[in-house]
Amino acid sequence: MIEEFRKSAPEPLAPVPFNIGKPFETTLENGLKLIIFEEKRLPLVSYRLAFNSGDVSDPQDAIGLTSATASLLSEGTKNYTSRQLAEEIERLGANISASASDDFTIVAASALSLYNPDILRLITEMVFTPTFPEQELNLYKQNTIENLKYQRSQASFLANEQTSRILYGEHPYSIISPKAADIENISRDKLIEHHRKIFIPNDATLVIVGDVEIESLVKEIEDKFGKWQKGSVADSNFPDLPNRTENTLTIVDRPGSAQSNIVLSSLAFERTNPDYFPFLVMNQILGAGASSRIFMNLREEKGYTYGAYTRTDTKRLAGDFEASAEVRTSVTGDSLREFFYELNRIKDEKVTDEELEDAKNFLTGVFPIRAETQEGLTSLIVSQKLYNLPDDYLQTYRDKVNAVTAEEIEQVAKKYIKPDRMAMVIVGDAEEILAQAQIYAEKIEVFDTDGNPQELAKYMQTEKVETADVSGKWSLSVDFQGQKFPVSLVLEQTDETVSGKLESMLGEGVVEDGKVKGNKFSAAAKSEMQGQTVELTISGIVENDSMNGSLNAPMIPMPLKFSGNREK
Amino acid sequence: MSEQYKLSPLEIEQFTLENGLRVVLNHDPAIPVVAVAVYYDVGSRNERMGRTGFAHLFEHMMFQGSENVKKAEHFQFVMKAGGTMNGTTSTERTNYFEALPANQLPLALWLESDRMRSLAVTQENLDNQRDAVKEEKRLRYDNQPYGQIFDLINSMVYKNFANAHSTIGSMEDLDDATVEDVQEFFRVYYAPNNAVLVLSGSFERESAKQMVEKYFGSIPNQPLAAALDVSEPREVSENYKVYEDKLAPFPAFLIGWKIPPRRSPEFNALYLAGKLLYDGESSRLYQKLVKGEESIVQLFGFTDERRGPSSMFIGAIPKPEKDLSIIREVIMREINDLAINGVTADEMQKLQNQLLNDVIRMRQSSMARAQHIAEFTLYDGNPELVNSELDELLKITPEQIKTAVTEFLNTENRALLDVVPVGKG
Repeated sequence: MIEEFRKSAPEPLAPVPFNIGKPFETTLENGLKLIIFEEKRLPLVSYRLAFNSGDVSDPQDAIGLTSATASLLSEGTKNYTSRQLAEEIERLGANISASASDDFTIVAASALSLYNPDILRLITEMVFTPTFPEQELNLYKQNTIENLKYQRSQASFLANEQTSRILYGEHPYSIISPKAADIENISRDKLIEHHRKIFIPNDATLVIVGDVEIESLVKEIEDKFGKWQKGSVADSNFPDLPNRTENTLTIVDRPGSAQSNIVLSSLAFERTNPDYFPFLVMNQILGAGASSRIFMNLREEKGYTYGAYTRTDTKRLAGDFEASAEVRTSVTGDSLREFFYELNRIKDEKVTDEELEDAKNFLTGVFPIRAETQEGLTSLIVSQKLYNLPDDYLQTYRDKVNAVTAEEIEQVAKKYIKPDRMAMVIVGDAEEILAQAQIYAEKIEVFDTDGNPQELAKYMQTEKVETADVSGKWSLSVDFQGQKFPVSLVLEQTDETVSGKLESMLGEGVVEDGKVKGNKFSAAAKSEMQGQTVELTISGIVENDSMNGSLNAPMIPMPLKFSGNREK
Repeated sequence: MSEQYKLSPLEIEQFTLENGLRVVLNHDPAIPVVAVAVYYDVGSRNERMGRTGFAHLFEHMMFQGSENVKKAEHFQFVMKAGGTMNGTTSTERTNYFEALPANQLPLALWLESDRMRSLAVTQENLDNQRDAVKEEKRLRYDNQPYGQIFDLINSMVYKNFANAHSTIGSMEDLDDATVEDVQEFFRVYYAPNNAVLVLSGSFERESAKQMVEKYFGSIPNQPLAAALDVSEPREVSENYKVYEDKLAPFPAFLIGWKIPPRRSPEFNALYLAGKLLYDGESSRLYQKLVKGEESIVQLFGFTDERRGPSSMFIGAIPKPEKDLSIIREVIMREINDLAINGVTADEMQKLQNQLLNDVIRMRQSSMARAQHIAEFTLYDGNPELVNSELDELLKITPEQIKTAVTEFLNTENRALLDVVPVGKG
């Protein structure tokens, strides 16, 4: 039986309108802004008490203080110990937590609506009367310092740390995390002082979404928050952002890394900028998703990586654009070439109608899914209010996406995508990266994983050294999880170029793209292992008839060391 | 108090197509989103010896294209329509689901029905998905610190092969899979009469029914597989084991108990006991170990719900230099305290509020509703249970919790896995 309707994707039904109402808004006498959104679908309420002070408000000699202040709000107050507070909150089946981001500090809560009075009382308890007990501060320091150590073992953290430093220069957006010494420096006195400064009603917004009655809730808020004393909002005077004039390369050296973690970035714009929507659609086409150009090119077509994406981060005062991927070390240079190709293409050529249509469909389609849960809806309202977006922002979001034209996309791409002045940060094996990536940059610097600058010359592969002879049959022994596996390499060499084959108990492989520089040998090998094609990278140092080095395979996190000799 | 709180029931409409496909509609038009979930009654428990990993391998095959949907197009279609999607495999079932803007319901039904009726089970697809699964196994299990401990503890808790073997399977079994095996697996388990289809969210009831009939009605049914034996003796299969983990940076341990099937009063009582022991910052073990003794980096616990004998786990990664046996003693002492002194009134109130909260939160999203309803339909033959599950849990008394903890969380019924790092450190 032939069923015609199965042959192609069905047409969508008529679009179903999605209307979000507008919230009630008022301001208390002490300056606290109050936003209430009635949503009675389920007996739940979400709360956000947000302050316009975030990590950027850290005093220069006390990095990490705002985050610590937020985290410790729940670790002891005038009437509750840390444990009592946890028990009281969870006895109600509720959540209350506090954290700081770049621009804001937010106390977030959610609970059954019948506990509304208790939640408001507990929020005021935490915000008005935290005591910052010494013992809790010590546990916080201990656990945070452990976390910082762990962070530093992650390539993505190292890449972001350098990227922010380079893009934002003297501006506090340049710091993404405190150091252990900063955490050690935090004292109870500093917390008390900082808390007094930033937790003030005339710099705060309280957003409440859910099953509430506006009139009685406003009275209750006035009752509980009305006596909260005004403070003075600190002037924030931030340094200007660096002006970029060339492509720069910053390498964080992790010797023997199997992968290069690549981040290409440039400054973009602040959250309220009118270029937001065209850039949003452009970014969707260029690299935001798994059907975007960059993913299709670097992963689907070239197979350099599991994933390659672009994103924008638009903050209150500035923002940045970033393209990133984790790729095999041996294709670091190739990946950069493809990244630059795509960055140039999006600014030099108009996007196609089909690309534009797909990107709009995706962005307008996921919008109601994001608003389905109360937490999702609350996040949308909170960012609208905190960033001072227009009153009809949520109502017109999808129209604004749909109104974007190919011409506007071309304009914003030309304005912000600057392939001749990108900040390139690559975490991985510095020597390998340098050789492949230096042609893309006018200025190069190298750091170790602790952030200390290193001498560039150390990583330069010097040209004058005599090229070693690596040809012949090598019997090597590879160390894998404590066991030794024999591998043999048969190599042929013409000047600095090497090819050959590789044999192991798992199968045979072909050695390609081999190069010798001085006494250093590197190559890619495609090997069939148990029916699967695996691409390995080999690097070794040859001394007379012996070779030491390491093997990298995409699914093995650490390089495998090997050593062996040339057969006579 | 939460007991007086009456939730309005979800709208449930159930019917079965002539080919045996069980269909449930949960109409809820609040937000213009529709979720579609297809649950197949096949999981790793259906795999026989020598053929482990098949259920999961199959989940991969389901994204490799069918008669009218090319390889990898499933994902592209859903993305371009502004939707989200995934598929997962457990011991009990294999599921596939997507949430889309409401007007894209036909697309979801077209995609799901095309692969149910005409999946491309070819040698080429099998080969490349077998490789993908092996790579996934290497990446997520073999080359991860602590990556194998959950599979190990399962094999210590359960005796029956159907329950004890891992969902990811073995490399050898995956290698042995022939395209005929896989075709047969598809014919038996991916038949409409072995599946449940749930629509949740915004749609028109009558036209949705017609669409379901149009897309799924003509898919032929198949003779079903023989009934499965998942019975277990009461005791665990192995009490103690040391596992040398080459990648783990710290020592750790994991305790597992064999407990009665999901939805039994004993299981429910133990589920609640678990929440009191390890859920949240006010839980007994968090307060004792993370706060009080400051001896633990990470504490976790959960129950594994199965239609047959189920299990409960508690594990910890201690801070460097801390004595594991003392930490285990604290855990066993706390369990003992629950068995002897029972649950406090405050704890009962906490449980009631948390359960109510969990159920309400689950109801917010169409995707979560569709999945929840599909489970009750597949496992219990009754989607209406989504409306009574809260009452079932609220009925559990402090006495029942005490009795179940005494009976099932003791040391005889316990499997203990010690993880010892043997890396370069």
